[in-house]
Amino acid sequence: MTNEAEAVLRTQDLKKYFPIRKGLNPFSRTEDKFVRAVDGVSISVPEGRTVAVVGESGCGKTTLARTVALMTPPTSGQVYFDGKEITKGRIERAELYRHMQMVFQDPESSLDPRMKVGASIGEPLEGLMRWNRDVIRDAVKRSLTAVGLSDEFASRLPGQLSGGQKQRVAIARAISTQPKLIILDEPTSALDASVQAQILRLLIELQKEFKLSYMLITHNIAVAQYMSDVMAVMYAGYLVEYGPTRTVITKPRHPYTIALIKSAPIPDPERRNLLQVEIKGEVPSAINPPPGCRFNPRCPYAEETCTKENPSLREIAPGHFVACHFAEKTE
Amino acid sequence: MDTLLSIEDLTVVYDTAFRRVTAVDNVSVDLKRDEFLAVVGESGCGKSTLGLTVIGLLPKNTAQVTAGAVRYKDTDLLKLDRGKIRDYRGTEIAMIFQEPLTSLSPVYRVEEQIAEAILVREARKAGHLFTGKVMQETYRTNSAPGPSRFPKLHGRISLNLRNEIIEYLKLVRIADPEQVLDRYPFELSGGMTQRVMIAMALSQEPALLIADEPTTALDVTTQAQVLKLMKELIKKVRTSILLVTHDLAVASQVADRVIVMYAGEIAEDADVHSLFSKPLHPYTHGLLSCVPSGYKDENELHPIAGTLPDLSVQSVGCKFAPRCPRVMKSCHVQRPQAVTTEKDHRVSCFLYDK
Amino acid sequence: MIATLKEQKLTRTPSSFRSTLSLLFRNKESIIGFAIVAIYLAVGLAVTIANALNFQITPYEPIQQNVGASLGAPSPSHLFGTDFLGRDVFSRVIASIPNGLVASFCVVAVAICVGALIGSVAAFKGGLFDELLMRFTDVIFSLPALVIAMVIAVALGPGLTHMMIALMVIWWPPYARVARGEALRISHQNYIEAARFAGQRTGQIILKHVLPNISMTLLVYATLDVATVVLTYAGLSYLGLSVRPPLPDLGEMISTSQEYLILAPWLPVIPGLIIAVLVIGFSLLGDGIRDALEAAA
Repeated sequence: MTNEAEAVLRTQDLKKYFPIRKGLNPFSRTEDKFVRAVDGVSISVPEGRTVAVVGESGCGKTTLARTVALMTPPTSGQVYFDGKEITKGRIERAELYRHMQMVFQDPESSLDPRMKVGASIGEPLEGLMRWNRDVIRDAVKRSLTAVGLSDEFASRLPGQLSGGQKQRVAIARAISTQPKLIILDEPTSALDASVQAQILRLLIELQKEFKLSYMLITHNIAVAQYMSDVMAVMYAGYLVEYGPTRTVITKPRHPYTIALIKSAPIPDPERRNLLQVEIKGEVPSAINPPPGCRFNPRCPYAEETCTKENPSLREIAPGHFVACHFAEKTE
Repeated sequence: MDTLLSIEDLTVVYDTAFRRVTAVDNVSVDLKRDEFLAVVGESGCGKSTLGLTVIGLLPKNTAQVTAGAVRYKDTDLLKLDRGKIRDYRGTEIAMIFQEPLTSLSPVYRVEEQIAEAILVREARKAGHLFTGKVMQETYRTNSAPGPSRFPKLHGRISLNLRNEIIEYLKLVRIADPEQVLDRYPFELSGGMTQRVMIAMALSQEPALLIADEPTTALDVTTQAQVLKLMKELIKKVRTSILLVTHDLAVASQVADRVIVMYAGEIAEDADVHSLFSKPLHPYTHGLLSCVPSGYKDENELHPIAGTLPDLSVQSVGCKFAPRCPRVMKSCHVQRPQAVTTEKDHRVSCFLYDK
Repeated sequence: MIATLKEQKLTRTPSSFRSTLSLLFRNKESIIGFAIVAIYLAVGLAVTIANALNFQITPYEPIQQNVGASLGAPSPSHLFGTDFLGRDVFSRVIASIPNGLVASFCVVAVAICVGALIGSVAAFKGGLFDELLMRFTDVIFSLPALVIAMVIAVALGPGLTHMMIALMVIWWPPYARVARGEALRISHQNYIEAARFAGQRTGQIILKHVLPNISMTLLVYATLDVATVVLTYAGLSYLGLSVRPPLPDLGEMISTSQEYLILAPWLPVIPGLIIAVLVIGFSLLGDGIRDALEAAA
């Protein structure tokens, strides 16, 4: 994939399983089943670029983000940040978060409703950098300006802000430590269209100005296409397609990616792709995935092999990887 | 073409503890038979209120219709009392909502809920108030003796009724209707429950189906399936659809006509092809250029400057004026009236005032 | 720089505290409740200050006996009459108000603090720790107030402070439960995760983020609870476990004048009414606060 020396973040066969116990007994061991939320994902985020991890609910993208950020320990596999392994290494989370931050989906719950905006933005500086109050105050002012908010916002409470303004504050908080990587978890899903556009533009400008790398988690193809350079499509816990965004959007090869892109509504009544989508069934259970390729029950190209063997990612064109036995057919 | 629903000069106001908000301000809309009409706008534009007003489900304590009429087949629904409205709601006009899981009762199985809907329909048709009598008379074959007010237990629902339910489930393209009948709503996925909701709504044989953000909570592929389904239904069962959505792209994919609302008013009202090829109102234009469209090569997003106006404040002039890139002096003084430019393309903007 | 974006203006109105306050007064009952509590507080404050500054605010000295004038019915010179030792009931009632108020507020305050801490720590630590803390809470919850109070009375001797301690020991479990529920709800909010991204450890998160955000719910619960504490305290002092005579205390006044119910009904009835009115006042106020906060949401 990408040259490893350039990657600010890289995962190697990352897996995250959640154990399920039968019944209420917290000590029961019998019949342990697992929710295979992330089942062997290897991606990398090149420096200064945006990688979009796209998929629908239950595909594991949010779990991937949380595992990468060490919010929850991985079941197996490794995560490398700036070349250093962070999963088993001695890197403290406090050290990591100076360089890796996250912006969450719901702006309403991203800010402590009882804390002034300035205090929220300065919290990472106080907890991670241990600067003194004056330095922090200046840094907060600079962050606010960077996201297009005036100084007076620092002394306001979140309840006085609109959704878009709250999200800007969340972004201001994330950039306050000048991180290298920001994980954006559906940053605009909860916002109106016009506000969404403002935030997306803001993120792009910040990326240019501060040389940030983004890992963008989204289910919205249009947003992924607008923001990202590399696109990774996830389904039922693993990567099904991976490559430069333009290629994946214009020449998708995995049947799921094809259906996904066709389903994304385009504001053009002359091109009603949505009405031509041929996909049946539902997302499979994460506890009992279907044998072989997890997409096979819903796939219009499925054959016998698909029910036996789970395909791994293979390079079907330079830089373009697909996990499908019959990717050639989908051209 | 027949006009099914005609909303005239409707104004709806919410009176909360702190202030009075004008949610819908002098709105006039027409919906024809077999038409798929989409009402599009951002949050707070009044589109949901519009839908709720038609079906008579506005919150009694806070909402008030202060002006206008809602004419359904020439009857003004607003003038009807509670009982008469109920005759329409459920038989002629049905509604589905955004969160399918909270719209279905969690303690009854799918079969029972749809059966209830059908029995209510039959009761109304027969002019009865309670369904017990109807159950006795209409579905006596194979049912348990004695009237029951609601179809309660598995096996007590008559075969006829069960078959009818299965037909509706098949109509909404549910793969194993017999399996789904026995399930509780929480056992089904979002897409399935939304289909069940549509089936329930259709079982009332409505002439008009109002859908309030029915796919917002669903995955993109599921959304595509449900929207496809809704489009088919217009032809199959001759139900007109009023779709309320914030997603302009969704509207473009399925609607015949689109109405764009802003701050309680209609900005533009046109055939879907005209609206997207020639958006007239600056707001529509703004909305279109701030939606990232996956297929265009040039990737410029132009956000609309400013923020939504405060609906509790009486404004003078066009509500979009503070944010309008093509604002003129007259925009601050007077509210623009709707002007029809070409066949069926109406816009409220001084730019097009003759 | 962000040239394309214009600076954003604040759109929402500033603090709605005043408007919430106005909601409180929309409703007749809460105004009455507020008035009652306010009067009691004012009286209690006046008495406490007077005691501290060592001057008398009551018409008569509460412990001054005048056996000649005993069992006098309420009259202009003795508004609530006199008791069996000739002491002015009105003065005694006034003088005893601070006890009930101080006891209730202290008990509730401690209950909130202890409950909030235990509940939030349990919620955030989770697992076995959570189980143990909650079972411990259940055990304390099952202890009856009266029995514990009596045990402590035997152990430490009667008195206001000892009674307060007894109540504090057993009053916090419902607060811990409420706090735990609220803390669990909050733990899923993004700002808690964001705090972890800001390098905050669990303890800091609980202090800075959890406690302030659960305090509102706990306070609402507390305002409804104060009435119960007042009543319980009155019951305990009726049993003689609190302030000892000749110091005045409402509950104690009722118990010692029970036998005069027929002869001099004002003796037991008036203190009882005073207690009842206070409880009603707190209840109405508590309901009003809860309704106002719900309407404001």
